[in-house]
Amino acid sequence: MKNPYLPLPMKLVKNFTETEDKLIHTFTLQYLSEEDEKSFSYMPGQFAEVCVFGKGEAPFGIASSPTEPGFLKFSVAKVGVVSTALHLMEEGTIVGVRGPLGNYYPVEEFKGKNVVIIGGGFAFTTLRSLATYMLHPDRRGDYGDITVIYGARNPGLLLYKEELAAWEKSPDINLITTIDRAVDGWTGRVGFIPAVTEEVAPSSDNAYAIICGPPVMIKFTMPVLEKLGFPPERIIMSLENRMKCGIGMCGRCNVGGKYVCKDGPVFTRAQLNELPNEY
Amino acid sequence: MIVSKKEIPSFLDKLISDYQVFAPVQKGSYTLFKQICSGTDAVLDGGITKLPVKEIFFPQSEKLFSYNVTNEGAKLEAPVDDRKKVVFGVRPCDARSLTLLDNVFNNDKYQDPYYLTRRNNTILVGIGCNSPASTCFCTSVNGGPFDTKGLDLLLVDTGDAYVVEPVSDKGKELAEKAGFAAASDADKAAAAKVKEEAVVSCRVNTDGLKAKLDVNFYDPIWDRIHEKCLGCGACTYLCPTCHCFDIVDDAVDCNGCRVRNWDSCAFPLFTLHGSGHNPRSTNKERYRNRIMHKFKYFVDNFNEIACVGCGRCIKNCPVNMDIRVVLEDIRGSEARLDS
Amino acid sequence: MRMQKLAAQIKDAAKKLLEEKKVDLVVGFAEGSLPLRGTPLFARTPEEADKLTWNRGCENNLANYLRKREGKVAVVAKGCDVRSIVALVKENQINRDNLYIIGVPCSGMIDRKKVNQLVGGKDVLEIEDNGDTVVIKGKDFSETARVADLLHNSCQDCRYGNPVVYDELIGELLPEKGEDDFAEIKEFEAKTAAERRAYLAEEFSKCIRCYACRNACPMCYCEECFVDCSTPQWIGKSAADIQDNILFQAVRVFHSAGRCADCGACERACPMGINLRLLTRKLVKDVKELFNAEAGVNMEDKAALATFTADDPEPFLVKE
Repeated sequence: MKNPYLPLPMKLVKNFTETEDKLIHTFTLQYLSEEDEKSFSYMPGQFAEVCVFGKGEAPFGIASSPTEPGFLKFSVAKVGVVSTALHLMEEGTIVGVRGPLGNYYPVEEFKGKNVVIIGGGFAFTTLRSLATYMLHPDRRGDYGDITVIYGARNPGLLLYKEELAAWEKSPDINLITTIDRAVDGWTGRVGFIPAVTEEVAPSSDNAYAIICGPPVMIKFTMPVLEKLGFPPERIIMSLENRMKCGIGMCGRCNVGGKYVCKDGPVFTRAQLNELPNEY
Repeated sequence: MIVSKKEIPSFLDKLISDYQVFAPVQKGSYTLFKQICSGTDAVLDGGITKLPVKEIFFPQSEKLFSYNVTNEGAKLEAPVDDRKKVVFGVRPCDARSLTLLDNVFNNDKYQDPYYLTRRNNTILVGIGCNSPASTCFCTSVNGGPFDTKGLDLLLVDTGDAYVVEPVSDKGKELAEKAGFAAASDADKAAAAKVKEEAVVSCRVNTDGLKAKLDVNFYDPIWDRIHEKCLGCGACTYLCPTCHCFDIVDDAVDCNGCRVRNWDSCAFPLFTLHGSGHNPRSTNKERYRNRIMHKFKYFVDNFNEIACVGCGRCIKNCPVNMDIRVVLEDIRGSEARLDS
Repeated sequence: MRMQKLAAQIKDAAKKLLEEKKVDLVVGFAEGSLPLRGTPLFARTPEEADKLTWNRGCENNLANYLRKREGKVAVVAKGCDVRSIVALVKENQINRDNLYIIGVPCSGMIDRKKVNQLVGGKDVLEIEDNGDTVVIKGKDFSETARVADLLHNSCQDCRYGNPVVYDELIGELLPEKGEDDFAEIKEFEAKTAAERRAYLAEEFSKCIRCYACRNACPMCYCEECFVDCSTPQWIGKSAADIQDNILFQAVRVFHSAGRCADCGACERACPMGINLRLLTRKLVKDVKELFNAEAGVNMEDKAALATFTADDPEPFLVKE
């Protein structure tokens, strides 16, 4: 019987301050052996319990893509005991990773379809995984147009600036970045995600929308997507609830009868419409 | 088969040499399941134990693994308990609860090795309930005072002896090895009579309950029904089917253990996000979740009600929050379909 | 019958308050689901107030439901409830102007654990209250016992059965009792440290950390209890650690020193039967001896540990 509580020890090789306010760090973790890497086969949208030995574990969406071998990436906001300990961690330290956990974005269904990715703030982590996955030269041909609408309060709070710069130039992806209020030197759009989405007006024909962000952003973007004609079955969301076990046993992350950890975190809007709003 | 009550201590003593034997033992004014060192420690006529039998398989506090971490790697050791056990004197409601918990700890994707290893290595010897208490309502939730679900052997108390009824192969083997005498026709008749006379007088009507819960999540009844609940964890910890837990580290620097402790959906911290947001922010949401979990979500997921009618929550609630009354109130409420 | 009469008077008082819209809510007791058990009731209409009752099983401290309430509320309060209310008013948790106290003199509530012990754990189906005695009935037994022997320990020790403050009194004031002698606390104090430690370890080996004691206590209302705090984590969360269980209770008890009305709600709530009042009462005794103070016995005194005077003779206050 495989013990789902045992973490895989991994080496923290990079502790990178991702945002200007220093509240988000991106951690690059390296496998200790090839077998370890083989044992951790994941898909975009899945998460893992990352543990700081002595402090505990916490769930984070995987920001790297399975198309990037050799390492895992997590972008973590400093909010609790484990994330604070992670932020303070020196490179070279061993941490634990338990997973991959949960379901993933339905990339098989996306084949032959246009994909609209909408992200706000630091909820862009698994969306980065998804975009990177679909943009891989071996896979790019599987999908139609890929549009990314990504916003943050100000330019310094956008994650993954290197990727964004590369995507900006790439013909494979249509990237729209936005910030809440104008600042000097900003060449992208200005405005909240719902308004920008309405402006950009991505076509819902033969398209899926994937949306992750703070609750208020989701709340106001949802009617825009509906107006654009996205049916609830083709709006994909990823939920976050407090979790401990990650395997559907400890009881806390349920939304109705579904466990976010085991049955999610990825749900369609149609599925969520059937569930109470306990998230 | 039949065994006289006088022979039970020596039977247990023999078992103790081959198994870890657990039985109800007296602790102050109540009984608890404890590992016994002597057959005479077992208290078999004390009704249900204060804490349910789940604590043997899913202890209140349990080490998941110990660790020793350096910059080169991590040494992890998981102490999965595979010692052979016999639990003696378990009541049918408690035995049934384990079959419900099996769904959780052996779900569609993951297996919990701690719980399942203990389950697989344990023989459950039950004692039927000749005189169910006034707070017992097992027959309302698919159980019964002589229900054999989850048991390996069932003992029927006929006065001076127990008539032994094998349920599983494991149980049959244990009984045969013990060399119990064959039960006479008179013994069997006595057992049948005991069963017939054991009446669970309390009946909770669950007809239509699930249908009501399917549509009443936003019903105003939830604003009132929780009102006197103190939000403590007594009912959940004493409940044989409640399985929620927390995972914490108990460590000095990088050497220590990861431990799981029982946790309760009644506590605000249970669902509190790091951001401060809480999807079940008040007692109303938390109490609703407890009822929904047992009588709707569990039914949706596993086709069974997650309640065995043992009555522990009824007897032990500090404010007499009685689940029978709560269910009746819900059933009688006007469901609002517009949600 | 005294109890039935009181119940009728409570009902009338509550209905009147609701009918005249003097209050929006009456918190009292309804008939519970177990023999001689009252259960908290929240009545918002005269019809709901019809369910109000009074019996020897109205053991919960209703002050627990009164903190930070909106609107006008009436409460059916026995002596200990009122003491806790007074203490909570002083801590600005209850607005006295919005609370109407229906005071009920109380001669004590019956401890179901004692009843169970008396009948050897047999299933009790009915308890008939005959004033000074009760008849405990089960399937094939019936036993008569003195009420005085079955009262909660806290009720036997209680000197404040009569509400110290009320807006309306139901029934008649009871005769005053003599001073509390704290006999069992003195006995415990006389033990050696090792004996005391051993006793506490045994008691707290039963603790399952369900926090029923804390949640039943009207004075335990911290927004974040120290046991729940994760940064820093003051205390281990595992019930298997007896020292942590003792620490939890010790800190809780110290935090309620000078505020605890010795109502016994913690001990009544404990499903595991831990002798919690040994600790709470030790502090009640200490506060009485050190400061000549008791919590919630009048509206004027400040809580013992929430006040000081410049001429306090305590050397730690006056010396450099």
